[in-house]
Amino acid sequence: MTEAIANIRAEALLRLQAAQDEATLDEINVSVLGRSGALTEILRAMGKLDKEQRAALGQQANAVKKELEAELAARRAALTEKTQELRFAQEALDVTEPGKVTQPLGRLHPMTQTYREIRDALIGMGFTTFEGPEVEYDDYNFTKLNLPQDHPARDMQDTFYVNERVVLRTHTSPCEARALLTVKPPFRLVMPGRVFRVDEVDASHSPVFMQMEGFIVDRDLTLADLKGILLTFIHAVFGEDVKMRFRPSYFPFTEPSAEVDVSCTICGGKGCRACKGTGWLEILGCGVSNPHILENCGIDPKEWKAIAFGVGVDRITSLKYGITDIRLEYENDARFLSQF
Amino acid sequence: MKLPLSWLKEYVDYNVSNERFVELMMWRGFETASVEPALPVTNVVVGKITALTRHPNADKLQVCTLDIGEAEPVTIVTGAANVFEGALVPVALNDAVLVGGVEIHTTTMRGVRSEGMLCSGKELGITGEDYPGAGVNGILILQGAPKPGQPIQQALGMEDVVFEIELTPNRADCQSIVGICREAAAALGQAFCEPPIKAIAGEGSASQYASVEVLAPELCPRYAARVVKNIRIQPSPAWMQKKLKAVGLRPINNIVDITNYVMVEYGHPMHAFDLACVQDGHIIVRTAFPGEKVTTLDSKVHDTTPDMLLIADPQKGVGIAGVMGGENSEITGHTQTVLFEAAVFKSSSIRRTTRELRHVTDAAARFIKGVEPVNALLAVNRAIELVAELNAGDVVGDVIDVCSVNTAERVVYADVAHVNRILSTAIPAAQMAKMLAGINIHAKAQGETLQITVPHYRVDIESSIETDWDIAEEIGRLYGYDNIAPTLMRGDTFRGQVSEACREEDAVKDLCVALGYYEMYNYNFTGPAVLQALRLPEGDEKRLAVKLLNPFGEDQSLMRTTLIPGMLDTLARNCNRKTGQRRFFEVGNVHFDNNADLPEERRMLGLIVSGAGEDFFTLKGSIEALLAGLGLSGRYAVQPGGGAYFQPGQKAHILVDGEVVGELGAIHPAVQKDFDVPQKAYAAELCLPKLMAHKAEAITYKPLPRYPVVPRDIAVVVDEAVTSYEVTQVICQAPVKVLLEDAALFDVYRGKGIPEGKKSMAYSFTLRAEDKTLNDEDISAAMEAILRSLHARLGAELRG
Repeated sequence: MTEAIANIRAEALLRLQAAQDEATLDEINVSVLGRSGALTEILRAMGKLDKEQRAALGQQANAVKKELEAELAARRAALTEKTQELRFAQEALDVTEPGKVTQPLGRLHPMTQTYREIRDALIGMGFTTFEGPEVEYDDYNFTKLNLPQDHPARDMQDTFYVNERVVLRTHTSPCEARALLTVKPPFRLVMPGRVFRVDEVDASHSPVFMQMEGFIVDRDLTLADLKGILLTFIHAVFGEDVKMRFRPSYFPFTEPSAEVDVSCTICGGKGCRACKGTGWLEILGCGVSNPHILENCGIDPKEWKAIAFGVGVDRITSLKYGITDIRLEYENDARFLSQF
Repeated sequence: MKLPLSWLKEYVDYNVSNERFVELMMWRGFETASVEPALPVTNVVVGKITALTRHPNADKLQVCTLDIGEAEPVTIVTGAANVFEGALVPVALNDAVLVGGVEIHTTTMRGVRSEGMLCSGKELGITGEDYPGAGVNGILILQGAPKPGQPIQQALGMEDVVFEIELTPNRADCQSIVGICREAAAALGQAFCEPPIKAIAGEGSASQYASVEVLAPELCPRYAARVVKNIRIQPSPAWMQKKLKAVGLRPINNIVDITNYVMVEYGHPMHAFDLACVQDGHIIVRTAFPGEKVTTLDSKVHDTTPDMLLIADPQKGVGIAGVMGGENSEITGHTQTVLFEAAVFKSSSIRRTTRELRHVTDAAARFIKGVEPVNALLAVNRAIELVAELNAGDVVGDVIDVCSVNTAERVVYADVAHVNRILSTAIPAAQMAKMLAGINIHAKAQGETLQITVPHYRVDIESSIETDWDIAEEIGRLYGYDNIAPTLMRGDTFRGQVSEACREEDAVKDLCVALGYYEMYNYNFTGPAVLQALRLPEGDEKRLAVKLLNPFGEDQSLMRTTLIPGMLDTLARNCNRKTGQRRFFEVGNVHFDNNADLPEERRMLGLIVSGAGEDFFTLKGSIEALLAGLGLSGRYAVQPGGGAYFQPGQKAHILVDGEVVGELGAIHPAVQKDFDVPQKAYAAELCLPKLMAHKAEAITYKPLPRYPVVPRDIAVVVDEAVTSYEVTQVICQAPVKVLLEDAALFDVYRGKGIPEGKKSMAYSFTLRAEDKTLNDEDISAAMEAILRSLHARLGAELRG
């Protein structure tokens, strides 16, 4: 009898080892451990034996049963794993294939991105946006800004005229006049918009471009404050490593006036083609507002001071990204736009 | 403004490098555009030919051995025939750069090593006028005894460099050598002594020869003149010619050269009249008669207008004041008696005249920038001094001086504390006075006030509310902007913010980007042909374009009234270049001439789609997504309609809360063709302020449904004319006792099984109740009610 159990065990173990699928395992289960399986048969036949024999045999048979059950479960687990592995192998992907996009993202024009960057830097310093019209009174564009009829500095800006009194604004500065006339000081405004000059289109000129003006009116403002604001602003837009040069210049709207250069963003100040070997790039004009402007707009220049600066968004965009031909910014070639 | 270094050196002790000088000037407010050497070649030296032999392998070549001042001589092969032993010649050594950027390197010519090149005058960019013999065909043979190895610039006496200085419009006084050297001396920390002008008394009196009458004193505040007789016309001396050439002027003869020289030196334009051509020697400064024509020195005939100022004699115009002299009074070889004129003409008048004549001369440009009366007298006396020095004629006594302005020195007062407050400095009054003295401005400190005597040439320093700012500008640049430490503003804090309009525009742009659109910037200009191409009917609002008086051309003569043409141009460009992008948007202004002072300006959003997979409904889908993104879900609708540039039957108005805010449609095939767009395109234009006027409602949370929803579909057969909108409305308004939500069309079918002239429309929606789970009875009751409504109102039948 013991021998029979040992045989069943040996045979069952062999068959289990050889089994390659679930069905075979089920079959072994039924033929050995099932209701009429070989081992079950033996256990059933034990009733005929005496008590002592029965106990010994029963112990043996149960141990074998447990062993085979455990082995069966292990084989089953191994087989499941193998099947799964096979399935995974079949379902393996080339993960380097491109992702699926139902709608590819569009692009913001680089000029819009630069505009937002500049604007947000100024908003952080307490500025508020203020807009004026593109087609503007000559009075606001020039006369109120200390550029009366026939002022020689009017030639600095070639103007598109609609009629004798109306022009396409040549800068965003008419917003200064509009602000002085309508907003109660003190205030800090950032004034963005398109401006127009009679400039034939070439790599560095465009008859239409985008400007942003910063305009601050308060009781005590100095040239040093202007320097401080611009330094903060330049660091925000170009990074902390960029150096600023603040040098004397002239604008009819400001006195004292300055032009501001940043260390060349291409060569870092060593001198290259972009900066014509000087290591500096001119980025904006600024100054303490000319008292005539405040006076022309009914604000007492002894009581209030104003400081102003104007940047070309196109120019900053070109400098930031190393764009050498401004025409690209108005051609809207998708291969250009997709780079930003 | 051209400043030759050689000329500057006559006034200052030039002890710095050119780079340093440029920097010092920059900190004083004078930018240098370029520093040009008079002879722009490098590594060219003097060589002495010590031996000359035939080239062993070439008949026409010679081999020169040259002493170039080094231990070892160099050998150079030349093809020129005019060289000889002992000749001193310019030698371009290895790596030399000649005119036009030509580089010279050591090479081997037919087996003989040649360590450079011998140069002709042409290769150095000079002519016989610059150096004797430089014009000959062959190698330039140097005169005198230049030392071998000496740089060629030294040997030719052409070591000069010219600084091109950019002047700001406020410093008209610096468009003169004297003026810019005054600033240069100060920048170099040196005192500047005004060069004295020697008074030449002359013989007799100018009034015997000439008289001047100014009929328009407001346009000509001063007219100063002197007479010179027995004119001896000849070339001006070499030193004067050299200086004129250095600033880019062509020498003509001593009299003309003197006027040009004084213009450059003192910045005051001058004119010399042949008095024989001025009737009675009587000069009249007057405005032009109607229809009067004047022929100028350059033989051009100009039509004048009555507001132009002329220099005339009793009979005829002899020059356009401030612009150019007349041909009829030009200096010629026969000229006997000359009137030298230095006048002040009003800037604005000259500016207008040059604009009308479309003619700006050097003189006119100076008048426009501004000249002043004291300088006029200096200039005319300086010219006379030069006449005497050059012995160009006999000076006649007396100055004719018609002056209607006060030329007395001006005194202004500046508030020292205020100047310091503008600059954020603490400079004592006495120190300010000292700084001003450095640029020859005399100032006296009286407590906290500076009493400033303004030099006649500093017309930019005003006696007005501006004085403190004018002086702050001077003190600032003298103190050094670099010495002013940046500060951050103190005082009230401000809540910085983006205006609502800007914020909404940002949102619109971001949504467009999320929907796959590339942003465009198109020009604001358009032309009548474009409006024509859009097929706008008579009276269409978009024909009311603002017209420019001075456009680049007809095609850019109007301000755009719609974004559509620009969008079509961009699309056409991208199609031609095969960029593959199918979606573009733009936010920009359009203008309408509505007869008000300023045109009406509207900010528009334009969208355009084209190419594979794009159609009317993909564009409409974008707009719906955009409106949903702006919080306007369920508040918009479309109605057939829209511009003539759209294809009939495929265009619609976009409405929000019942108000038209824009339109969309398929571009009319004819318009598409006119704009060279090779494929079907769909465009939309929305008015942003109109759109933004409809604010998104404040969001209030709605509880989530507690009972399940029941999704249902139905397909109904209706007449072709029935619209989706109508079916949706009827479904939503059907008298059902449950909540009906999210009704949406998901399929339209025509063809087999559907009668001609009919279509099947399939809708999905959900049913639910607030208070219970719906049972079959509730659902079928609702479905029946919906079908009854559809049948009753639209004649719809359930599709079998």
